Amino acid sequence: MNAVELRDAAVTRGAKLIWRDATIDVAAGSISAILGPNGAGKSTLLHALLGLVPLSEGSLEVLGRAPHRGDARVGYMPQTRRDGDQHLSARDYVGLGFDGTHFGWRRTSTSAKDQAVRDALRVTGASAFASQPLRTLSGGQRQRVALAHAMVFRPELLLLDEPLAALDLAAQAEIVDLINLIRHDTGATIIVVAHDLNPLAPIVDHVVWIARGQVRSGPTDKVVDEGVLSDLYGHPIEIIVTPRGRRVIVGLEEEFAHPHPHPHTGARVHEAAHEHFAEFYREQS
Amino acid sequence: MSLWFLLSLAFVQHAYYAVTVVALAAGAVGYFVVLRRQAFAAHAIGHVGFAGAAGAVLLGLSPVLGLLGFCVGAGVLIGLGGATLDDRDAVVGVTLTAALGLGVLFISLYSGYADATYSILFGQILGVTWGDVVLVASVSLVVLVALSFIYRPLLFVSVDPASAVARGLSERALSLAFLSLLALTTVVAIQIVGVLLVFSLLVAPAAAAEQLTNRPRRALLLSMAIALVSSWLGIFLGVWLGGPVSFWITALAATSYLGARLGAFGKRRETAMGVA
Repeated sequence: MNAVELRDAAVTRGAKLIWRDATIDVAAGSISAILGPNGAGKSTLLHALLGLVPLSEGSLEVLGRAPHRGDARVGYMPQTRRDGDQHLSARDYVGLGFDGTHFGWRRTSTSAKDQAVRDALRVTGASAFASQPLRTLSGGQRQRVALAHAMVFRPELLLLDEPLAALDLAAQAEIVDLINLIRHDTGATIIVVAHDLNPLAPIVDHVVWIARGQVRSGPTDKVVDEGVLSDLYGHPIEIIVTPRGRRVIVGLEEEFAHPHPHPHTGARVHEAAHEHFAEFYREQS
Repeated sequence: MSLWFLLSLAFVQHAYYAVTVVALAAGAVGYFVVLRRQAFAAHAIGHVGFAGAAGAVLLGLSPVLGLLGFCVGAGVLIGLGGATLDDRDAVVGVTLTAALGLGVLFISLYSGYADATYSILFGQILGVTWGDVVLVASVSLVVLVALSFIYRPLLFVSVDPASAVARGLSERALSLAFLSLLALTTVVAIQIVGVLLVFSLLVAPAAAAEQLTNRPRRALLLSMAIALVSSWLGIFLGVWLGGPVSFWITALAATSYLGARLGAFGKRRETAMGVA
């Protein structure tokens, strides 16, 4: 069974085409990575799955139904959040993920909520700092709390927008392990938007690569392929397999946008430089 | 005249009733003003209210009507123009200055006694009538009931708008609802502390409470309590020692914030040294 079925889809914003001819099948229980340069429309794809952005062509089914905003089976961790300067505790923030959409005076069952929040904090390894105000947490701790917030109501599909952004390599590896743990713990289908396949490669089953308005989707080996990527980028891409079985992807540096503000720090990283040094490789296990 | 005699006078009693309900509403709404970083909008709505009151006086109407119309209007305008938390400073600024300009015009056209204007600017807590008390109490009650109804979604959308919207909440509708409640609270708070000082009841108690606890519900209740105590003590000191009640209330509210900052700072130092 597929958690996501996208057929011949296109999305436009105003007159601008974001991407088209997208056909994506995501198997239930799998982990997928959405990759591609900045501004390619990776977050837009998540927004389409959330029902926030309509398709201009094609069809989309999410968990067997047309996507709709507020689907209680879909969890979402946005890229930019304002939790960084809040006084409220991590536990209270995670609690909002459980019953934050409920209006009125009807009290949620406190024990059910407490149990769900405790479980989410435990799975994400955030129990130790659950009582601290969000504004005192480190970047890695904040990502754990945000993951707990996104999965506390046990969604069947979990959409994560750049969960590894602004983290150092050690923290990235921890969050990747955590994403895998959440899959095993909840059985959720997980889709991750990322800049770099490297840290995610060990857990990813399926890759969606977006560039130049086009989308390629399939098992990692089928998409991370010289022919497929060369066709997608419109110039030769080489993939070098290192003696230890890792792959370095060369040629992506030609595809870059303008200086782009970093999503968290606001620092302007020149995309050309960024892409030039980015080496996409994959552990061959 | 003994202090107890002064405190038993009808106008002082009215002041106590009015200030009690206003402080509770302002303390509760203020928590979200601080949480949502909307102090500028709160400030602007108060000043817009001044223009409304001046206009009403000019037309021979009750200033409260002008306050109500202009404050709620400004709240709706700010809510519609700056629906997301990111693009509203400009909207607030333009609304504020346009209304203040109107206020200047209304005052220049008004040739009567400027007392009404003065009381709008600085409040007239000891001139509150029984009718005022009833009005202020009903509005405050409406605000508190409505706020408790939208409490959780408003908290969610204030802390994490992107995921709240994905989970089905409307940021625009909640923002509009909140700004309307803020406008209503401002209208009644202006009766007590005036346009220039309305801020003190809306921001200082909540900012103090935020320093003292990281539980949202507790912070909201604490903010209400600080607003209440500042107001009660303010009237008492005004009656006992003299001086404008508005001054005492704002001074106490500011002091509570300062105290909370110092307390929080001391606690952090203690924790840091405990760890080291």
